Amino acid sequence: MRHAAKSASRFLRRFWRGLREWCGDAAYESYLRSKGRRSSSCRTLSPAEFYVEQLNRRYSKPNRCC
Amino acid sequence: MKRIFSIVGWIAVAVLGAGALGSIALHRGEPLNATWFVVAAVCCYLVAYRLYSAFVAAKVLALDDTRATPCERHDDGRDFVPTNKWVLFGHHFAAIAGPGPLVGPTLAAQFGYLPGTLWLIAGAAFAGCVQDFVILFCSIRRDGKSIGQMAREEVSERGGFIAQLAVLAIMTILLAVIGLVVVNALKSSPWATFTLAMTIPIALLLGLYLRFVRPGRVLEASVMGVALVLFVVVAGQWVADSPSWSRVFTLSGIALAFAIIAYGFAASALPVWLLLAPRDYLSAFIKAGAIFSLAAGILFVRPQVLMPPLTRFIDGTGPVFAGKIFPFCFITIACGAISGFHSLISSGTTPKMILRESHARFIGYGAMLLESFVGVMAMVAACAMPPGVYFAINSPPSIVGGAGDAAAATISGWGYPLQAQTMTDLAHKVGEITLWNRAGGAPSLAVGMAQIFSNTIGGERLLSIWYHFAIMFEALFILTVLDAGTRVGRFMVQDLGARFWKPFGRTGWMPGVLLSSAIIVALWGYFLYQGVVDPLGGINSLWPLFGISNQLLAAVALVVATTILMKMGRLKWIWVTLLPMAWLVTITMTASYQKIFDANPRIGFLAYAKALAAQIAAGKIPTERIAETQRLIFNQRLDAGVTGVLAAMILVLIVEALAHWYAILSRRKESALHESPYIATRWAADYSGASHGDD
Repeated sequence: MRHAAKSASRFLRRFWRGLREWCGDAAYESYLRSKGRRSSSCRTLSPAEFYVEQLNRRYSKPNRCC
Repeated sequence: MKRIFSIVGWIAVAVLGAGALGSIALHRGEPLNATWFVVAAVCCYLVAYRLYSAFVAAKVLALDDTRATPCERHDDGRDFVPTNKWVLFGHHFAAIAGPGPLVGPTLAAQFGYLPGTLWLIAGAAFAGCVQDFVILFCSIRRDGKSIGQMAREEVSERGGFIAQLAVLAIMTILLAVIGLVVVNALKSSPWATFTLAMTIPIALLLGLYLRFVRPGRVLEASVMGVALVLFVVVAGQWVADSPSWSRVFTLSGIALAFAIIAYGFAASALPVWLLLAPRDYLSAFIKAGAIFSLAAGILFVRPQVLMPPLTRFIDGTGPVFAGKIFPFCFITIACGAISGFHSLISSGTTPKMILRESHARFIGYGAMLLESFVGVMAMVAACAMPPGVYFAINSPPSIVGGAGDAAAATISGWGYPLQAQTMTDLAHKVGEITLWNRAGGAPSLAVGMAQIFSNTIGGERLLSIWYHFAIMFEALFILTVLDAGTRVGRFMVQDLGARFWKPFGRTGWMPGVLLSSAIIVALWGYFLYQGVVDPLGGINSLWPLFGISNQLLAAVALVVATTILMKMGRLKWIWVTLLPMAWLVTITMTASYQKIFDANPRIGFLAYAKALAAQIAAGKIPTERIAETQRLIFNQRLDAGVTGVLAAMILVLIVEALAHWYAILSRRKESALHESPYIATRWAADYSGASHGDD
């Protein structure tokens, strides 16, 4: 029973993480974790700056199909 | 022992699939249960994934998991982000699944359920999935390069140029045709128009919230947005019931076309965070919810498919669009079977986020199988309504003789019994003024979806709510494609303009932004307007044009894929991409020829122009309508010209590719691959993405 509850809790945690990654909610956290950002000399963007920059980049090339 | 069980299990799946396919192909007489469609499709997909995609992965592409993918080498937290394969599957599927797999099969249902269903399943397994998978693989091996860049490097400069032109052409025609679908869905429908109009202030509200209150908190903003959208779906009924408000939101086709054009311009020129992105978030959640609900609804209700396997319109006289099964079924159903547009996604964001080469099979091949399944569900929803009702909704007035008794008599005369009262009652039940002559696929799909949903929850009492939910869902994500496409088109125009005048290319320069937005909106807006005023319904001319341009892009992608396979030394496997390419070129060229030169005015653009000119010469057109008719003649000639240019592009590309292949095979040209150099991965074999790896 305890094992099942643990598995369910792990599944829900993973699902929640996946959902946040899928919809872009966790994008800033991924950016902070990224190797490129940590090794770069550029200033770390604030959440608002990152959000706008990320959207401008994403919507400048085809990202939705017919 | 385990292996024997596995083999027996797969044989059972294959036999079940073959049996279900046989049932839907050979069944005659009584209506057929939709469960057979689901079983046939799912079994075929499982077998195709297990066997064919594994063969492509192992033999044709030889995927290599020891090789570092672009996201490992360039991990910047922006474009190159290591992403769990399930999450990336969701991303990729959300990007490729647009209105095409819903609208195309609904329109192709005029041939009966059989041709479209077979093409959806076989086309996806042997062509569409292969294209998406192979292009994704090629792009992974080239640091996430786009299809245009790969065409330029691996085929020729001209091949790359054709790819870019094809993208612009498909973008223009796609935006026009999906705009037309929305116009026909909202025409004379105050409820639907109000609901969709309200999504704009909701998106603006979310945009401001995400920008200034809680930057980037997409999930909580989307939950609020979805709740508000569901509220306005219900509130639309109050608007429709109010005589004064109802008048405000009852718009003609032309008024709606101009409203959509103005919206496209605003979405392209305004900051992306304000309108476009929040609308996309809303659309993604509602799209995922509606598609899974439709699948669950079909399994729960198990509706009877009332459309026959083949209708009399396989002879090319169909009221929705004219033309025989070959080639028009294969042009009408593009997305869902094979769509060139997917190659832009497979060589766009996805290759930059993929963790391992082996994931390309699950994401590239698997996501396309799921899209094909969406197409099969749309086919079921369209075919679950009585055929008479289907033709009443989708036929233009010039074909059925308007609406009411005369139109019902015409449709009954085709062998699909219909009473005018049935349409009046149905319109009343779904809360619409009329359902006659609403070509475009969206209203008939919404009726089918609403019937399935209301049989699951709420019964007939909620039919009108479900209908308007389905219309809102379709229109919302069509407009998301429209605004995102217009913005990308604007960048293409700016890019092109910068060749002549540098400042025009600056994406932050407001005059350049406004001018380029106006140019791209004028391009698709013209075709949209032309479709709205077309007496044959617009879909008849614009949807085949869209299909041709989409398949042209697929042909470009498959040429690139074949060339790369050849250069990789996989000559004996090139039939994997060569055969779908040959099929696409055949159907595209045949359709182009027929659309330009066919003597039937409903098929051939030039024949229609000639017939209209003859009517003017014979004095059959009233003086006040002569100018309008001359515009129609011009439009038909323009469509013929556009089709001719698309066909010429395919021919040039094929000649170019053949010359290139000959040079490679005869060793007159060095067969140089432009892959990124091999770097071994440093990730552990079980690494599953940045956050997922933390567990």
